[in-house]
Amino acid sequence: MKFTRREALKSLGGGAAAVAATGLVSISAVGQESAEVKTAPKHAVGLLYDATRCIGCQSCVAACNEANNLEGDLRADRIHHSAQDLTSFSKNIIKLYRPADGSGYSFVKQQCMHCIDPACVAGCSFKALTKNPESGVVGWTSSKCIGCRYCEIACPYHIPKFQWEGWNPKIVKCELCKERLAVGKEPACSSVCPAKAVIFGTREQLLAEAKQRIRQNPGKYYQDRAFGETDGGGTQALYLSHVPFDKLGLPNLGNESVPEKYLKWQNRIYSYLAVPVVTYATMVAVIRKNWHDHQHHEKEEQERTGLRPQL
Amino acid sequence: MIGFWERNVPVFDVPVRTRALYVLTGLFLLAFGLVTYRELAGLGPVSGMNDAYAWGIWKTFNVMTLTGLGSGAFSVGMTAYLFGRWRLHSVMRTACLTSLLAYISGMTLLAVDVGRPWNMYLVLMPWKWNYHSPLLEVAVCMPLYAMFPLFLENIPPVLEWLHEARPSARPIVEKATAIMAKFYPLVVGLAYILPAMHQSSLGALMLLAGDRVHPLWQTPFLPLLYVWAAAFMGFSCVAGTLLFCTLMWKRPMDLDVLREMGRITCYIIIAWLVFRFSDILFSGKLGLTFQFNQYAVLFWIEMVILTLAAITLWDSAKLKNARMMFHAHLIAAIGGMMYRFDPTTLAFNPKSGAIYFPTAMEILVALGFVSFAIAVFMIAAKKLAIIPAPLSYWYDYENEVLAKAPEPQLSRPGEALATAQD
Repeated sequence: MKFTRREALKSLGGGAAAVAATGLVSISAVGQESAEVKTAPKHAVGLLYDATRCIGCQSCVAACNEANNLEGDLRADRIHHSAQDLTSFSKNIIKLYRPADGSGYSFVKQQCMHCIDPACVAGCSFKALTKNPESGVVGWTSSKCIGCRYCEIACPYHIPKFQWEGWNPKIVKCELCKERLAVGKEPACSSVCPAKAVIFGTREQLLAEAKQRIRQNPGKYYQDRAFGETDGGGTQALYLSHVPFDKLGLPNLGNESVPEKYLKWQNRIYSYLAVPVVTYATMVAVIRKNWHDHQHHEKEEQERTGLRPQL
Repeated sequence: MIGFWERNVPVFDVPVRTRALYVLTGLFLLAFGLVTYRELAGLGPVSGMNDAYAWGIWKTFNVMTLTGLGSGAFSVGMTAYLFGRWRLHSVMRTACLTSLLAYISGMTLLAVDVGRPWNMYLVLMPWKWNYHSPLLEVAVCMPLYAMFPLFLENIPPVLEWLHEARPSARPIVEKATAIMAKFYPLVVGLAYILPAMHQSSLGALMLLAGDRVHPLWQTPFLPLLYVWAAAFMGFSCVAGTLLFCTLMWKRPMDLDVLREMGRITCYIIIAWLVFRFSDILFSGKLGLTFQFNQYAVLFWIEMVILTLAAITLWDSAKLKNARMMFHAHLIAAIGGMMYRFDPTTLAFNPKSGAIYFPTAMEILVALGFVSFAIAVFMIAAKKLAIIPAPLSYWYDYENEVLAKAPEPQLSRPGEALATAQD
């Protein structure tokens, strides 16, 4: 069979048609109305941490370890070390920020922020990490986790940690003492805080409390706002601070949640699998035509050489 | 040696049990032993991974990078079947086999890398999936592709071997071939849509990492750039493999086909470079490329390597220089691998002060799984009709000798006119 330039152009046109069809469907999919912005569950609970009240006593760390059967990081010599960072040995830690110029220092408590639209939940393949539709607590289920550690890559606050030792590793993160909540108790950390620096409540109560403190103490709090009201789409752990939030390790995320910001396009292209299905159908139509020509060519070859055609 | 690639033929005159095969098998067995240790002791004692760099080379190199090289069946196949470049049919078997082996090797290592592999049965239960996760897309789409369309694409050489070496099986083979030929367009279509989906989702994985990935790599077009890189990496891997095999096993080389592959690879790379650079220009990140830090340097290394690859590919196609062409494909593959590896590790900054460097055991396991793929390719190419050759190399399986075949032709059969017009 002669393979002329005209035919080459024709089949090239077929391929181009498939690509164009994909492009058109993709553009219409991307042009869809923006997915509705997620709001906090009705009975969302959380923590309000006021860095100006915290005395750094670490009672919350000890209470958290006790409530969650964690013994702290004893790996080196069985002597308990104050944790430098969140690890799979601690779900809640206190850090100290002390600026080089000697100006005001601040403690900061680190635990899961229980985001309204969590990146870890968005990335988790088999729903091992889920957001409770009632309380909004982000919890982990061992029987659904494959241990891929994508949550560690995705979380903007670097919260989930993985047990690197042993054959049966687990993801360790604050689950807002969900077992204690179930029996009507508040989380261990807030229950023991002597300075009432961290308090537990519904998100609405906590936001109202934060706003009242800001109103009563003008100029005391950084930016006169609570971190987590809108940051990263909003969180259920809220922070008040007298030093800039980013100094305490709270990143400047803007108001969009991480999944909304980064997966918008991806989710639209895959909505109802419309783009892949249309692309597949178009490609098969073109390939079918090309395939017919190819088999004709193969037959001619077989006549010429007397050998079986090769697929 | 120059000759037209007319048929796929086993590399029959080279021994199967070579020293290289023993070394590769040894490396794989060593890796297998280390994997057993990893399953008992956990990931920590074996690897350099930590909570800041939670993904090590098993994911970022063996899966993210090497399945890019294993995209030959996708990109070369798409050019051949969808864009009607029929000459490239002669290299399709090499493309399909390298792809299948790269995917199998990568996915097996992925199962070693995950901490709780016994829960992976969930991949079979669609009602338990999180449909918004890019990782779910990869976890479902990659095995589906490797086990269904890509696997079927590798069946014809096996059927052919059965047909030639086991005459009693011929009626079944003929029937199976007829069925395959009937449904082949449907299978082939799947073999292009599925990799397009998961190769882009590999890029989408890094989207959710947000500002951990340096802005020069973090862009909404990351999925597109990933699948685009897979396109030229696939071409380079297939052309490079063929050039290497024909040189090593002293097979005739079809410079027409290789030059066409070289030119197509060159076009894809240039378009990719222009797109990547425009994205950086129009998103206002050009300033970042002139900062004096490791990220800007890394960015320019990638750009320079791929530009060099494009120029060398073009020149080698023009000069008909096979050795230069091999080096060009090697450079292109390295450039593509760097682009796919960097956002996961070198341009990945979790801002914690932690560092990641793979341990010796981790590297040995990664190498062992690559060795496995290479070893299987070496055996398969000698037993099955994978590597293309002129008709005069046609092999008689039954009597294990060279069969009588027509004399080699001076011009490409049936294409004399088309070549004259070029």
